[in-house]
Amino acid sequence: MIKRIIAGGKHLLGLHHPGRNLRVFPDDVFLVSYPKSGNTWTRFLIANLVYAEKHPDFSNINDLIPDPEGLAKRRLDNLPRPRYIKSHQYFDPRFPKVIYIVRDPRDVVLSEYHFDIKRRAIAEDFPLEQFISRFVRGELNHPYGTWGENAATWFYTRGSDPRLLLVTYESLQSEGARQLARIAEFIGVSASPERISFAIEQSSANRMRELEKKQGHLWSSTKETRQDKPFVRSAKAGGWKTELPEAGIAEIESAWGVLMRELGYELAIASMAHAGTGAGEALRRR
Amino acid sequence: MMNHVIAGVKRSLGLHKPGKSLLILPDDIFLVSFPKSGNTWTRFLLANLRFPDQQATWENIDRLIPDPTGTTKKDFDRMPRPRIIKSHECFDPRYPRVVYIVRDPRDVVVSQYHYHRKIRKIVDDSPIETFVGRFMAGETCPHGSWGQNIATWLYTSEGDPRFLLLRYEDLVADTARELAKVVDFLHLSAGPAQIAQAVERSSADRMRKLEQAQADKNGLFKGSRNDLSFVRAAGSGGWRKELPAPMVSKMESAWGPLMQHLGYELATRAPSEARDLESIGTLSPRR
Repeated sequence: MIKRIIAGGKHLLGLHHPGRNLRVFPDDVFLVSYPKSGNTWTRFLIANLVYAEKHPDFSNINDLIPDPEGLAKRRLDNLPRPRYIKSHQYFDPRFPKVIYIVRDPRDVVLSEYHFDIKRRAIAEDFPLEQFISRFVRGELNHPYGTWGENAATWFYTRGSDPRLLLVTYESLQSEGARQLARIAEFIGVSASPERISFAIEQSSANRMRELEKKQGHLWSSTKETRQDKPFVRSAKAGGWKTELPEAGIAEIESAWGVLMRELGYELAIASMAHAGTGAGEALRRR
Repeated sequence: MMNHVIAGVKRSLGLHKPGKSLLILPDDIFLVSFPKSGNTWTRFLLANLRFPDQQATWENIDRLIPDPTGTTKKDFDRMPRPRIIKSHECFDPRYPRVVYIVRDPRDVVVSQYHYHRKIRKIVDDSPIETFVGRFMAGETCPHGSWGQNIATWLYTSEGDPRFLLLRYEDLVADTARELAKVVDFLHLSAGPAQIAQAVERSSADRMRKLEQAQADKNGLFKGSRNDLSFVRAAGSGGWRKELPAPMVSKMESAWGPLMQHLGYELATRAPSEARDLESIGTLSPRR
């Protein structure tokens, strides 16, 4: 009962975090991805492009590009427009403009594994193979669906819609300037090559690692986690090739083979090319 | 400010409508569809099956099979379990079990057009062409477009044992057979006699009669025109008469592959040419 009164009072003052009940404005831009897919990096890239004068770092990123699950409704309602909003949500038809960052799920699982060790959700010696099974079955206890569900709900609804810009984490790694220029054009920000390379420099893995060392104990996503493990880890694509057990690769590809291929990820096991849940394969063959 | 205070107090007392914040229980069953796809009818069917002692009416249906945007948190917390809950939402990974009703979008748009006349969202002589355009853009309701709504479910859940897909058209053609599938899926204990009773208690005729008697008893009708009824044709294929041919082909070129996948024959293209549709469908991703 006390809890309810507190929740009621918070609502009354607009101090609650709205999450999926966020009030959406028609000029909002959403930066959406599954967790551990380069969302924080892209937040830094965009913030350094749009709000360079604010010197984005871990101390102000939550205000510059906020997460509706982490900021009070009152603050969200009063941000300068257009708002750039971070999200891990599966498809929401209300989101007007969406930049969707997608990353190879074989790397996502590895990144999430290390992050879960950092935030003490699992022990350091938790078997990776077992973790992969949980990841594939959607048992990691976060509210965003599985990797495949999250990506499918955006890709198959807005894949050819001009209001969605699909950016792969891998292309951000290999050709950051080109991809950031695409993003700038999509959000209607005129950006010279100089501004783009400035934003990329300011958001480099090395600079983010340095900032994390200084500010990691203050930032919401890292403050109560193990400080001996970094948030900005390898910042690379393809780690799965050496770190993922073969059975784990097979499990991921048999769950999402069709979708992975459609997104441009080459499968390690050719026979998984038609594998997947849902109507993906049946509809593809039509 | 006053509104905030009222909302805050309501929340403290559990009198707010939970909407997307509904606390979902592991044995919950969600009855999901795009609007105007037979959701209300199926609610009556399931309510009459699950609660044979209290015949479903427009007065009690929001309590028997409630909608998180229309019933208070307090009432949700009091429901007998497992709860059957109505929803028009796109894919939600938290829903433990889902019965999804899909209906031919060409009929859905006609049904929604008439419903919007009834609830005074559009005027009588509003051109259906304009409405179809808005319908396809997902602007006629807050649940995405027809194609988006069904796609989020099919691409994530088709073939999953926790997901049962029913077509409105099959429900019309053989209600008892389709309802038996739901009974199986939900492990309900209902034999043919109970199924027949639920079908009879949820017939279009009975629902129309109840609607006349209880027009003021359900939020669906509040402030709407009484000269138009909510339970309208209750059939399938009406689009052939009511939907202009260019609108039919517009819809089919947007959603052709999905419609065919669901067994809806296209009127504007021979099935053998349907292959080409993939490249123009909204579902075809950018490569």
